Amino acid sequence: MMLAALAQRAARLLILLLGVNALLFVALGLSGDPALMLAGEDPTPELLESIRAEYGLDLPAWQRYLVQLGRMAQLDFGVSLYTGQPALFMVLEQLPATLLMAVLSMALTLCTAVPAGAWIGLRPESAARRFGAALTAVAQGIPGFVMALVLIQIFVVRLGWLPSLGYAQPAAWILPSISLGFFLAPKLCRVVSAGVAEAMQQDYIRTARANGASMRFILWREALPAALPATVALVGTQFAFLISGVVLIETLFLWPGIGLLLLHSAQSLDFPVLQALCFVVAVLVFAVNGLADALLRLMDPRLRPATQ
Amino acid sequence: MTRAVTVANRLLAALKASPQLALGVAALLGWLLLLALSGLLQTHDPQLGDLTQRFAPTGTADHWLGTDNLGRDLWSRVLSGLPWSVGVASVSCILALLLGGILGMCAAQYQGYPRAVINQLVDATLSFPGLVAAILIVAVAGRGFWPLSITLGLLSWPVFARVVYAESLRLLAQDYVTAARVMAVSTPRILLGHLLPGLRPVLAVVLTFHFADMLVAESALSFLGLGAPLGVPTWGALLQESRDFIIVAPWLMVVPATAIALLVVSIHLLGDGLSALDRARR
Repeated sequence: MMLAALAQRAARLLILLLGVNALLFVALGLSGDPALMLAGEDPTPELLESIRAEYGLDLPAWQRYLVQLGRMAQLDFGVSLYTGQPALFMVLEQLPATLLMAVLSMALTLCTAVPAGAWIGLRPESAARRFGAALTAVAQGIPGFVMALVLIQIFVVRLGWLPSLGYAQPAAWILPSISLGFFLAPKLCRVVSAGVAEAMQQDYIRTARANGASMRFILWREALPAALPATVALVGTQFAFLISGVVLIETLFLWPGIGLLLLHSAQSLDFPVLQALCFVVAVLVFAVNGLADALLRLMDPRLRPATQ
Repeated sequence: MTRAVTVANRLLAALKASPQLALGVAALLGWLLLLALSGLLQTHDPQLGDLTQRFAPTGTADHWLGTDNLGRDLWSRVLSGLPWSVGVASVSCILALLLGGILGMCAAQYQGYPRAVINQLVDATLSFPGLVAAILIVAVAGRGFWPLSITLGLLSWPVFARVVYAESLRLLAQDYVTAARVMAVSTPRILLGHLLPGLRPVLAVVLTFHFADMLVAESALSFLGLGAPLGVPTWGALLQESRDFIIVAPWLMVVPATAIALLVVSIHLLGDGLSALDRARR
């Protein structure tokens, strides 16, 4: 059962990779003659010939596609058209910065949205908490990159408390992480508060309260665990969305991660790097989704197959 | 006539029952009015600068929202960018709705291969970051209204397909559909005549939120310099331009940022109201 689910996921990843690969291959064909792009200004016909021979551009399209597929299967994406470095190496070099920001912002999101959601969900009818819920709804409407611009305006330009650029000093990590956190935190807050509020309506919680269990005990031992699966599921399904946010935030803060690399490679149509990038992103999302799925199965016995 | 009256009555009752929905509808009407009058309300030519009026702050007598580095009126620019963004969001929503609706219904109706293929396609597309794919396509296809709208539509149809599929499965198991099948009603007629009306409430909710998502996607791509062509002052493009002047002219950033946030929040308000209405009906 577990294996079957994994196999299905792997099949999906394969479909996705093939799809993206085909898309990029067609895009490369549409974007003009790559030999002309590589040759620089005023190429001689001999130079163009030699470039075509070197990169295999003189072969028919279907042969080139198959050759490229074969290389991709060996994780060889070719070299960047601009730096000449291996494409996969360039991506992997930028990956730690992206992962650092993703982990920091995820930690920040969990540490703020879960308590806030629990606070709102515990007694959703009180006025203060209803105001909190309305605030979360509004926050959900503000696009993350817009929020980042506002944060830069406040903390960098007006108050001068934080640097906006740079990756070397940890002080510069704060704003990008908070900004990225804004892509997910309001959604998460709403899911947690809905989960806790629903749990509080259940009979077993009413019984516990009637028996004199403290609110703290009920929240920590009953209501929050009940809201946990929905939280994990949200993080899993929204991870792809988070990567979209990474691209925007990295561009804003000139953060040397894969998002910035993606934008630069797309602007300069550096196809080998784009291929490698798509591969890494797809595998990353696949891994996180799989992890969330496994966690869900661990937490929720109903998702596990029936055992004898 | 009587039908129109009934619909109006039901709408009024719904609005009375949910203040949130009423607020959302009111905000929507306000935005529609602004959209319809966007040409008339512009006080200056949005493209024509006045170099004697550079960087006039918000609240200046002749330029109530201020001016940019070329002395162009920000209010007029914000207004003139609105129709473009709304147009992109509308076209991409319609495309996604049509594709996702048709494929979602097909996946529910035709078991076996069609269902497996469509659902795999939906899951695969949804597991890839939309913005990454959009950047790749737009970088090759180029900027402009149609490339952007079609790209966003083609990338986001699975959102509709997934919801339509789940809801269609539920509706197709209902007695009235079985009755229609027994009476040998043709499959297209069942899908369009019996299934589609039942999908309307769910589609209204998804469409509302999706419209907001598409507006945000358009502004994000324009912000990255990959959406609106040069010279079209969409709000994302205005935000991009404002980055060079964050110290001398913060209003250039604050005004479009507030506009985007207000628009998206009012659409969300409508969506929340609609989904509460849908939940109450069940």
